[in-house]
Amino acid sequence: MKASLNRRHFLQTSTALIALPFLESLGFRRFASAASGAAAIARPKRMIFLGFGWGVTHESWYPSLEQKGPDYELPAGLAPLARHKSDFTVVQGLVNKYVSSGHAGSTFWLTGANEFGEPGQSFHNSISADQVAAGFLGKDTRFDSLVLDCGAAAQPSGHGQGLSLSWDSRGKPMSGQKTPVEAFHRLFAKDTTPLEQQKAMLQQRRSVLDNALENARELQRSLCKTDNAKLDEYFQSIRDIETRLSRDEKWLGVPQPTPPIAEPKADLAGYQEIKLMYDIMIAALQTDSTRVLTYRQPVTTLLTSLDVRIDAHTMSHYPGKGPEYLEASEKRDFAQSQLLAGLLDQLKETREPDGSSLFDHTTVVYGSNIRTGHSLENCPTILAGRGSGIRLGHNLVVSKDTPLCNAWLTLLQGSGVSVERHGDSTGVIPALIA
Amino acid sequence: MSPLSLHRMGRLGLLPLCAAAPIAWSAPETPRAVMPERHRALLEQHCQGCHGPEKQKGKFRVDDLPLTITDLATAERWQKVLGAMNSGEMPPEEEKQPEARIKTDFLDDLSQVMVTARKSLGDQKGVIALRRLNRREYRNTLRDLLGVSVDVSELPSDTGVQGFDTVGANLFLTGNQLEQYESLGRDALEEAFQAHESAALNKKFRLEAESIHRVALKRNRDSLDAMERVNRWIRAVDEAAARPENATIVGELRKIAKTDDALRYHWKKIPGAPSPMEFGFDKTSEVNPAGVYLFRDRTDFIRYDEYYLGLPHLDTGSYLTVTAGYGATGAAVIQGLGIPTDFPPGEYVVRIRAAATPDAPAGRRFLEFGQKGFAGGGTPAMSVHHITGTLDAPEVIEIPFTFTRQSAERKFRNLFIRERGAGDQGKIAQVFQEARKRNGFGPEAALWIDWIEIERKQTPPEATPPGIRALGSIPFDKEAAAPEPEKIRTALANFIKEAYRGTAAPEGLVDRLARIYDARRGVGDTHRDALKQTLASVLASPRFLYRAEPQPDAEHRPLNGNELATRLSYFLWGGPPDATLRALAESGELLKPEVLTAQTERLLEHPNAAQFIRPFLTQWLALDRLDLFQFHKGLYPRFDDATKSAARQEVYETFSHLLKENGRLSDLLSADYVVINAVLADYYGIAGVTGDGFRKVALPAGSPRGGLLGMAAIMAMGSNGQRTNPVERGAWVLRKLLHEPPPPAPANVPEIARLAGKLLTTRERLRAHQEDPQCASCHRKIDPIGFGLENFDAVGQWRTTDSYQALDASGAPDPGARKTWTIEAAAQLHKGPAFRDYFGLREIIASKKENFARAFTSALIEYALGRPCGFSDETLVEDMVKQAGEKSFATREFIHALVRSKEFQSK
Repeated sequence: MKASLNRRHFLQTSTALIALPFLESLGFRRFASAASGAAAIARPKRMIFLGFGWGVTHESWYPSLEQKGPDYELPAGLAPLARHKSDFTVVQGLVNKYVSSGHAGSTFWLTGANEFGEPGQSFHNSISADQVAAGFLGKDTRFDSLVLDCGAAAQPSGHGQGLSLSWDSRGKPMSGQKTPVEAFHRLFAKDTTPLEQQKAMLQQRRSVLDNALENARELQRSLCKTDNAKLDEYFQSIRDIETRLSRDEKWLGVPQPTPPIAEPKADLAGYQEIKLMYDIMIAALQTDSTRVLTYRQPVTTLLTSLDVRIDAHTMSHYPGKGPEYLEASEKRDFAQSQLLAGLLDQLKETREPDGSSLFDHTTVVYGSNIRTGHSLENCPTILAGRGSGIRLGHNLVVSKDTPLCNAWLTLLQGSGVSVERHGDSTGVIPALIA
Repeated sequence: MSPLSLHRMGRLGLLPLCAAAPIAWSAPETPRAVMPERHRALLEQHCQGCHGPEKQKGKFRVDDLPLTITDLATAERWQKVLGAMNSGEMPPEEEKQPEARIKTDFLDDLSQVMVTARKSLGDQKGVIALRRLNRREYRNTLRDLLGVSVDVSELPSDTGVQGFDTVGANLFLTGNQLEQYESLGRDALEEAFQAHESAALNKKFRLEAESIHRVALKRNRDSLDAMERVNRWIRAVDEAAARPENATIVGELRKIAKTDDALRYHWKKIPGAPSPMEFGFDKTSEVNPAGVYLFRDRTDFIRYDEYYLGLPHLDTGSYLTVTAGYGATGAAVIQGLGIPTDFPPGEYVVRIRAAATPDAPAGRRFLEFGQKGFAGGGTPAMSVHHITGTLDAPEVIEIPFTFTRQSAERKFRNLFIRERGAGDQGKIAQVFQEARKRNGFGPEAALWIDWIEIERKQTPPEATPPGIRALGSIPFDKEAAAPEPEKIRTALANFIKEAYRGTAAPEGLVDRLARIYDARRGVGDTHRDALKQTLASVLASPRFLYRAEPQPDAEHRPLNGNELATRLSYFLWGGPPDATLRALAESGELLKPEVLTAQTERLLEHPNAAQFIRPFLTQWLALDRLDLFQFHKGLYPRFDDATKSAARQEVYETFSHLLKENGRLSDLLSADYVVINAVLADYYGIAGVTGDGFRKVALPAGSPRGGLLGMAAIMAMGSNGQRTNPVERGAWVLRKLLHEPPPPAPANVPEIARLAGKLLTTRERLRAHQEDPQCASCHRKIDPIGFGLENFDAVGQWRTTDSYQALDASGAPDPGARKTWTIEAAAQLHKGPAFRDYFGLREIIASKKENFARAFTSALIEYALGRPCGFSDETLVEDMVKQAGEKSFATREFIHALVRSKEFQSK
């Protein structure tokens, strides 16, 4: 008895917002009654963030700065996106003003933090836009967000520090599913244990956590302030598990969705791997398993799969090198655009119960903190989807030094996430709002 | 008074270790990030007009910008100046530009000042944050506690942020990860229980190599027989088709079947043509003769077989062959070499009795050993072995390895041995065809195998791991009944003390664990499972996962014996203290300086010291770059996996040698010897080195080898797998050897694009760096060093010429556009001496022993103390360099000096 009181107290005092899914929520009802085709209420908002490390070929990826607005010529690097031209906007001129490293395409991309912003620490980061979204949009789904990564390929792909695109509310790196197989299992692994037993196991898990909590408290009493700040991660981890258990408990007995796609094969790398991850993202949205997704995409293995034998970093410094480097860079852009076009196709083709498409309720963010080489100005940014009510089909040139975080803020607010600011944002981008 | 002497004064207050009083720490910081006064002029002349008190364009002023950076706000303002000037944005194009030399110096100083400011503002001031066991420490800790090796690859690598993987501030924990610890703890216990149950089991299995070859021979005979049958069937069908009475039918068939082969697919329609079944083929061949044709063309292999069957010693052994594809006698890879299914996981040794053939070239006298599925995909070898035995006197090589429970569960029981490089399919096809062109049959056999033995070794009772020993007499086999509650409590208390590295169970913990145990029993768990679950929660508790050094208030205090033992063993072994160290810690003996020194020596001499050497060197010297790209196999066939792995090993082994001999650290800058094995000796062209063990080998005069710069691994890192990268090499030397790290690559510097595709030498290409101040400010220091190393090609081989091949529009080499040049390594260091060649450069670098000692010391401090080495550590750095310097920079002295320091010995 005492233990459970303890826990309740602990959860109350925790900083984490414990949002428990309720079975009568939209998400659940939709899943449970998908066959009957009911539900005609406003569809939930979804957000997808795709990051690709080493930037793009700046000569052939960006539309001309002169051709602002809807009547711009699609450059070669975006050619595969032609069929979607009226459904995405290229935003030009966004920067992350605190970032000064030319080798970190993703570390601060969604956070806008100042690496050196914490005196007495050599590294600092803050929450990423997707996790802000997850706190609001992720309440009613089995997973508040799905974080996807490319494992060992991330480091040489120019993403910089971090374990994925996502950073939690304390600015700590979040790890994610590293392969399509892992992601698939995370979403669709079937638990065949009888319900009663699952309940008993949850109870067991709780008593083990209670013990862990006691252990941590015992240690806490003997530590100084700095060490306790560190130990707080342990407490937070227990809270995270508790939150998840509560979520699991609410979902007990709700059958795992049937995967709309076949289980992926292992050992795919590069182009096929990214394509498969996109398929899994669609499957995750289709089954309403989550509404917020990030994916830190591989570049190095993408090149290998395109038969390019140049390492990704060298390629990103193509100016001044032989034509094969430029060619590699353009090949990369083309392949990435093809993949994105495929994702947009799927979003448009996937129907919601009310007859609309996923595309109507989803925001897709596609970009990097690096333009080319070590250039951090005009970070490549493509926004698509009608989920956040933005103006599509434009070549939107924003005023110089507009923070990337202004774009994230615009998208978050447009998706119904009530935040006033994000990272170093100074406000929304009015021209982006339809 | 200089800041340094201030610090020295602060140190006079150093207290002896045993004192319980709080320790006085060093004096407060003097600001260091100071932009020299003379640069004010540039700001005044070129910036202030717009960014001064009057105009304040962009709300940015430089007139009131302090030259001394002491806070983040000032740092951000200077960062903005640096960014705007680096990108060429400021001063605006239409304005008068500063003189190139002045701008270069300005940018040079400012970028260095910014590095200093960042370091200074981020200084942790000696605070060592609570450290979680990092991934490898966690693995080693479970290994030492339970005698098992768990697969930790799913845990984060702890290198996600920056610095060493020991730096506490970076060792995060998340909910997911905590659950992984719980599950890995259970796995480890399960494996430990199983291992204990089978500890006494000794099993041996021997495979006589001639038996494999009998299988291969039969396979080959079958294949020859099939070939003969196919050809008879073909003749029979062709005869039928040639009969005049069948001419019309065949004529019709020819319309759809142009070739003879295609025609025979329609044998049924040709009267008199026999079924393949009459020639011994199966039913499917009637429908689809493609399967029959498969057996037709075996002539390549027949020639190879004729050669093979003529080799001696086939009655007692078998040769490893290098063949492309199925079919030859002998075995490309020894087949059927599996760990028998009734052999449990544990410590194994594989023995191979082998010989090299008399004519085998030096580079082919190596055998690779591996476990299928061990690393998935292309199945790289686990180890490479030099075969020095002869057919008259074969030798037995021994390969110890651990057969893990995960491998057993995944049924990864297949082992393989193969000739070096035989796993590389692309390369083998080429080797085979080249040999066939030369001798008509294929590569001559180089390695002969007599037998292979797999032994599972028993664990002697005295080697029972401490965590299992702590459980005392309580049973944990599957049928065991639950022992008395008191016995379980005792076992839990003992286990906790082992797991907590000597700290007794805190109050209430045993009770709580006993409740978990009872609860598990209550829901129907067996005693064994309940025990496992209970112990697993110990392995996920904070006192196990963190190296807690309790300290209720913010004062520094001396470590107690257990804490010191723990710091020392995680520093030098990457794992927990052993029984000896723990005993000395508990008795307090370890706090005596002479005992501590003796223990430091003992730890360094122990094989576990590899758990310091490898991770420390890998991270310090950034050796992971070796895996960042693929080396071009076509251009550099000799830099195969075996060479690459030996080249990496050379770095570790050389340092290990220095530690063992207490040699001079500066031998890493230049030495008249190398520490190599047979693989590398062959690669470096040094005769007379045999075997897999690395040893010191004297170099002939004038050799470019000796020291880090002469190592293949270091030079290969300074390439992209195809071409050398002088900038990467130069920056590496500045960072790692000279302790003058260039600032991080600045953002937004325009790339030099105008030289793309032009026929230029590397130096001509890099000369462009000197034209723009933004580039020159760093590259004038970096590039000359890179030029001096150009005699090493992309895989660290010595060369005297280089060439550039331009590609045409289609991406193919343009025959008219190729440039070859003699390498010119002479250059002059920025504000430093000139050198004529690589040897001159090496001499200059080798003379900077102190810089190198300081670089090494800073890295060592960061690694050992688990926090960045800041300016507040300057006294410590100076002390260590001084103490080591008094002993000619003998390598161990650095470690002793650090272990003796108050920073190491206090919280």
